[in-house]
Amino acid sequence: MAWISKNWAMTGIIKGFIVTLKHIFHIGNRPIVTVQYPYEKMKLAPRFRGRHSVDQDACIGCGICESNCPNGTIRIVKYNGRWFPEFNLGMCLFCGLCMDACPMNAIKMDGGYELADYSRESLVYGPDRILFKKEVNK
Amino acid sequence: MIANAYELIVNILTAIGIYEPVYGFFQSFGLEYLLRIIIVVVEIVVLLVFVLLSVMFLSWLERKMFGWVQSRYGPMVTGPHGLFQPIADGIKLVGKEDIIPASADRWIFTLAPFIIFVPALLVFVPLPFGDTLILSDLRMGLIYIIAISALSPVSILLAGWASNNKYSLMGAMRAVAQDISYTIPLALAAIAVVLYVGSLSTVDIVRAQEGTWFGIIPRWFIFMQPLAFILFLIASIAEMGRIPFDFQESEQELVAGFFTEYSGMKFAMYFLGEYAHLFAVSGVVVTIFLGGWTGPVLSPIPVQITSLVYFIIKTYAVILFAMWLRDTVPRVRIDQLLNLGWKIMIPLALLNLLVTSFLLTARVI
Amino acid sequence: METDELLINMGPVHPSTHGVLRFKLIMDGEIIRDCKVVMGYLHRGTEKLAEMKTYLQFIPYTDRLDYIAAMPNNYAYVRAVEELAGIEAPLRAEYIRVLTMELNRITNHLVFMGSLLLDLGASTPIMYGFREREKALQLYEMLCGARMTFSYMRVGGVREDLPEGFIPRLNEFIKDMEMRIVDYEQLINDNEIFLLRMKNIGVISAEEAINYGMTGPSLRGSGVNYDIRKLEPYSIYPDLDFKACVRKECDSYARYLVRIDEMKESLHILKQIADTIPAGEIITTQKYGIAPVTGAPTSVMPYFPRIFTPPEGEVYTRIEAPKGELGFYVVSDGTTKPYRVKIRSPSFCNLVAIPKMVVGLKIPDLIAAFGTIDVVLGDVDR
Repeated sequence: MAWISKNWAMTGIIKGFIVTLKHIFHIGNRPIVTVQYPYEKMKLAPRFRGRHSVDQDACIGCGICESNCPNGTIRIVKYNGRWFPEFNLGMCLFCGLCMDACPMNAIKMDGGYELADYSRESLVYGPDRILFKKEVNK
Repeated sequence: MIANAYELIVNILTAIGIYEPVYGFFQSFGLEYLLRIIIVVVEIVVLLVFVLLSVMFLSWLERKMFGWVQSRYGPMVTGPHGLFQPIADGIKLVGKEDIIPASADRWIFTLAPFIIFVPALLVFVPLPFGDTLILSDLRMGLIYIIAISALSPVSILLAGWASNNKYSLMGAMRAVAQDISYTIPLALAAIAVVLYVGSLSTVDIVRAQEGTWFGIIPRWFIFMQPLAFILFLIASIAEMGRIPFDFQESEQELVAGFFTEYSGMKFAMYFLGEYAHLFAVSGVVVTIFLGGWTGPVLSPIPVQITSLVYFIIKTYAVILFAMWLRDTVPRVRIDQLLNLGWKIMIPLALLNLLVTSFLLTARVI
Repeated sequence: METDELLINMGPVHPSTHGVLRFKLIMDGEIIRDCKVVMGYLHRGTEKLAEMKTYLQFIPYTDRLDYIAAMPNNYAYVRAVEELAGIEAPLRAEYIRVLTMELNRITNHLVFMGSLLLDLGASTPIMYGFREREKALQLYEMLCGARMTFSYMRVGGVREDLPEGFIPRLNEFIKDMEMRIVDYEQLINDNEIFLLRMKNIGVISAEEAINYGMTGPSLRGSGVNYDIRKLEPYSIYPDLDFKACVRKECDSYARYLVRIDEMKESLHILKQIADTIPAGEIITTQKYGIAPVTGAPTSVMPYFPRIFTPPEGEVYTRIEAPKGELGFYVVSDGTTKPYRVKIRSPSFCNLVAIPKMVVGLKIPDLIAAFGTIDVVLGDVDR
């Protein structure tokens, strides 16, 4: 109870009240900072690591990404007569080692971040869902 | 002279010219009491609807306030600025599974959430919402309010015991200890006002605060009894069980305290009960210390309406203060709370009582 | 009246055990008579996993130790491997590393402050803390593409160079942060209820703290000037001007204040780095170097082999992580994978001192003392 006799005026609490009051009325660079997430999204950095996508012309199906993945996320599967990686995102660490390792720079991780799904099977992203074709300026 | 809401309704009906024929109609069957019952039931329904709407609004306001303080928006999606969020929550909670633990005492467990509403609602009986807007002007109004609000730990204790959970039991025990310690300074602080007014009736207390000093300062008891006001406010917040005194449910220590095991609608009952209690206690604080429904009379508008508006504005000011306090401070510890209650607040309240009675005897005030 | 002692299992699922930790409490009413810390609910076998991964592949796993502040974990591991292989990172890389680590110290202490106050019942500071942390996380996102599990450091350097516009945004963050810390101090530091909850609670003397192996801010709160950045300077810390924050009160409040002071010191370090960061390479070409691949647009990894074999040997390195001394003991048998990795995590060693602090106090005090130790369960159980 020493604190009452020392500081009966409760100046510490009053100081706190002033800080919260400043926030209520947004005084002095204290604006609302949140965004209304599903309706309004924040801009991602260009380097953001999200879902993988594979350049279908560049990928040579060499399997270096497969051997570099720390978690066994990647499997090389046949698709349309060529070999492409298949990502099991349920196991992915999003570390980016596959992207770094790819000798042809075919793997990008720009596929977004809203990846929740209802079953484990649908988390396996085969070539049909991750391939993209680079736009070539003619 | 109209004394309460019943007579107000009768007066209005008479003025319109409905009361006499209706009364005669009931009289012809010898059932005058039925008409009285109907009028009282209407009053109660209006009060209940008002309280429930206020409670829903309060639960929205609390979150909104949290949002403003924390640089957030708060609820925004359901309705304009999330105003219908409480309804959405209610629908969600009704749809949830109602779990009763296997080792719980089924009947008490089910009964406890409904008991919490009883004291919170009974407090409204002698609470003057405005000039003549009072259910019943009890001569023992203030004592009644203090006694009834001391009932709420009964429900908490029942819930804590019936849940058969250690955390629940500890929360319930804390609630009882807290309530016993804080009812005393609450009553002592209020009695200082009663000494001055000379009546326990809430209406008399409000009437004593009409008028102004020097034409500017309203004659509210907050200015005459500042110490009693502070003590009463702290004790009320402790009785409500809100941060910084929310030991009965302190989530970081006791998971959720006495309602750890509750889910679905029973959980919602506690939630609603808490806000009903908040509204009731704020109303009591306003009635005793902030002049109740008094305020400048605007002659063309009926005094019932203006006084109701004044009362609601003042009540919401107290509520917003309680919410602001909750946003700012952490929780004290249970033994520190009891120390504060017994070693500081009760002596201060007694001192205040002594000084007040001395000054009254000496006819200084 | 007959009374009995009550056994309470606090956790593994409890709001204020910061994850899956369990306290076995013997209670006499509200008073704790005995406290046992039961851990291991989040054990993932990280050390064993390391033996099955190449040196590079283990880096993402170090992110998952102390996920609140992952960059120092990255660095501690990478530094151990670098010492093992005799590699030195270029100066710019070291600057970037220290920058990211100090930024992470700030984010860690912001989370500490918020979660401590949340444990005490004040729900506002955590939102303020997360507001500033979000700005730091956006800096990280800009830098390495991830917000918490960075996987940014590489043996011999860092993964990517600072992006354009990073330093101005960092300066903005520093300026903003300086103002916010004043806000936190006004909101929390003098709050009478906070003082009531923190002062003389969870007292542990300097001697006991050392005996329990406590490190980091928790030890410095007991008056021991033990900061590895000063004692065994590593990286570029000898060139930087900063001081180790020490408080003598030995209680929860001292541990809290040490961390607030450390945030200011970290800001001071960040300012120096932002002003003096040199240009140059970001990954070494020194020993295992191969010629830089020109025209590779994003990847820097061709500078450095993905699979390399350090010589046989063993090494123990330690750094000052935000939570305390973080050590990595790496044994190499000359193959591509480490023979053994042992992690000396600060949270684990600090956590075992909890029973000493709280016996005789109450449950709310346990929560306050536990909050000031600042543990992350990923770091405790590994």
